[in-house]
Amino acid sequence: MTDKQSMRVSPNWLVFSLLGASAVLLLVDFVLAFFVAPLQPGAQVYMNGQPVSALINGVAISNQLLFSQKIFYFHVPIAIGSFLIFTFAMVYSVLFLLRRDKVYDTRARIGMEVTLVLVLLTLITGDLWTRHDWGAWWVWEPRLTTYFILFLLVVSYFVLRGAVEDEERKATYAAVFGIVAWVDVPISFVITRLVPSGVHPVVLRSGGIEFIQLLPFLLGLVGMVCFSWVLYQLRLREEFARERVEVLKTELEG
Amino acid sequence: MERAVSDRPKISSWRQFSAILRKDIVAELRTFEMITSMGLYILLTLVVYYLAISQASGEFDVREISAGLLWLAFIFTSLLGLNRSLVHEKDQGVLEAILLSPIDRPVLFAAKAVGNFIFIGIVELLSLPLFYLFILQGKPIEGPWYLLIPPLLLGTIGIAGVGTLLATMSVNTKGRDVILAVMFVPIMFPLLYAAVAATSAVIAPGPEGMGPYLPAMAIAAVYDGIMLLGAYSLYEFIVCA
Repeated sequence: MTDKQSMRVSPNWLVFSLLGASAVLLLVDFVLAFFVAPLQPGAQVYMNGQPVSALINGVAISNQLLFSQKIFYFHVPIAIGSFLIFTFAMVYSVLFLLRRDKVYDTRARIGMEVTLVLVLLTLITGDLWTRHDWGAWWVWEPRLTTYFILFLLVVSYFVLRGAVEDEERKATYAAVFGIVAWVDVPISFVITRLVPSGVHPVVLRSGGIEFIQLLPFLLGLVGMVCFSWVLYQLRLREEFARERVEVLKTELEG
Repeated sequence: MERAVSDRPKISSWRQFSAILRKDIVAELRTFEMITSMGLYILLTLVVYYLAISQASGEFDVREISAGLLWLAFIFTSLLGLNRSLVHEKDQGVLEAILLSPIDRPVLFAAKAVGNFIFIGIVELLSLPLFYLFILQGKPIEGPWYLLIPPLLLGTIGIAGVGTLLATMSVNTKGRDVILAVMFVPIMFPLLYAAVAATSAVIAPGPEGMGPYLPAMAIAAVYDGIMLLGAYSLYEFIVCA
């Protein structure tokens, strides 16, 4: 059965101080992004080794300063966070298959729930950006396509869970599917490095960004990762408490 | 007693593999159930494609989208076949009987996947002339036709391999075929994209000509390699759950 070691949750003081830290970090990210960081000219794309301006509504944007670029400081940290937490959930799926402890399945499931939240946030913030800059709600572009597939995979993870009745079988199937589905994470991550796209420039390759732009981005990234970890911990407590109530109920009845 | 068990020669993996594969082929040859149902389904798909194409203007060149249409037909037809191939195993208790016998789980996966590969491959080969007749309607294929073989081969290997893993899961769920479709289509997406890109480069090369062909084939090969390795090693967990 469940051993006490793996049921352990992080202490309250750590979870709540990280919650506070992520709030402060994201607030500073917000202030810096909007009031300090300079406007960024539109992206350049590398096609056959030559820098080419990305197009928005047929207009070259590499020499225009775009205010809408501010969403970069939120959209990208959330997206990276979703990749990280999916990977985290995948590791717990592997641990479940190796050790057969139900707790790892719970952890993987909660991780996938947080992934779903972050994926939805990424799609929404990305869509706002898309709509504003290109006047289209959706564009079939490599990163968007692979990320949308990621969203579908996370949704089907929960559809699969809902369709299996036996608890142990459900956990095993979900773990296997979680591992197979994770393959899309590296694909989605490297796709902009393989297929040049004006929509998702590789920031570090196209000349990098200034320190005052990098700072809010990194603060946002750390803040977002802390926040998703706090979400995960809080959900995990709820889940463990619920499971204990179930055990107590059956003990009382039996 | 213990000595007797350990001294007994182990049945070789090849014999285990060929026994299961032979069973699948014999069962199929008795009823032709998978091939007829998949064949009819793909024929119906082509008829429905006609509805869409019939509304297009005269200048519309169907070759530009025909690779996508072809793989769409393949993917949905193989969903049907994959589901069939495991529903019988489950409903008649064959899978349980196989698991009771001393057969290595990875061998079971290989045999089922190869069986599915053969059946899906046969249906694909049968449907290609029909596709040429009904959809391309005699319009010539621009590139050399034999270049269609690698994308077909790599695509079908991936479909059969990953499909066998997912179908073994979905057959134990409440919504069976729906669950299989929900899992299968997004997982197969990268492979499908590569297969369509390569097929399209042969049927109707764009401005870049055969440029996208080799990268797409490389993506398909890497995808197949990773996914088959994953499916091969994860099958044991699925089938024993």
